[in-house]
Amino acid sequence: MTDLLKFSIPGKPEYVSMVRMAVSSLANSIGFDVEAIDDIKVAVSEACTNVVRHGCPGVQSYEVTCEVCKEQITILITDRAGGYDMSKYQMPNPDEPKEGGLGIFIIRALMDEVDIFSEIGAGTKIKMVKYCNCK
Amino acid sequence: MALQIDSHFNEKIKKWEIVLCGEVDILTAPELRAALDNNFLENAEDMLLHLDHLNYIDSTGLGVMIGAYARMQEKGKKITLLNPRENIEKLLCITSLDKIFL
Repeated sequence: MTDLLKFSIPGKPEYVSMVRMAVSSLANSIGFDVEAIDDIKVAVSEACTNVVRHGCPGVQSYEVTCEVCKEQITILITDRAGGYDMSKYQMPNPDEPKEGGLGIFIIRALMDEVDIFSEIGAGTKIKMVKYCNCK
Repeated sequence: MALQIDSHFNEKIKKWEIVLCGEVDILTAPELRAALDNNFLENAEDMLLHLDHLNYIDSTGLGVMIGAYARMQEKGKKITLLNPRENIEKLLCITSLDKIFL
């Protein structure tokens, strides 16, 4: 059985911590271990931070949808903040660390599946999945 | 959870000692940036960041540290992170920042 939870979040920095708390609480209730909960927490926070930081002025809210079942959690973060050109994304270079560009890299490292769909002029969807080794 | 920053200059070892407590994210990262910049402006010396009580950091906070590292490196100074928790050490390893900060 799959349950669906939806949150609509104002695109402001002060609500990002609330989202990561809510989603980590959900992951805890499903039975994820502490390390996996931390991974989910950071990945969700990175995705929300991207929306808040790169979103268009005037975009009022974005959506966080969580699909939960015994085996996995799927989190979809959807915004209408104008999108961006994914082909211009550059992987961080460990020899020349830069202030920006770490968020997507971290999400991909922490989650089991990550898909990003972005349409310039429209918005972005980040879908991420974490599998549970729950007993 | 908010971020608490306690900075003092240790005259004996001629380094800044900065204790971080709480969380560094998109909301609190500007406070960390301001504290590191102000410290370095006041006294351009190495910084030791004590992370024993830092529960959470993400790319925004790591970005602030990278920025500070770059500015300090120009003057031959460095920033060192001490006692990060497992979750934070994991992020530092993933991003290879452990090589410059730990």
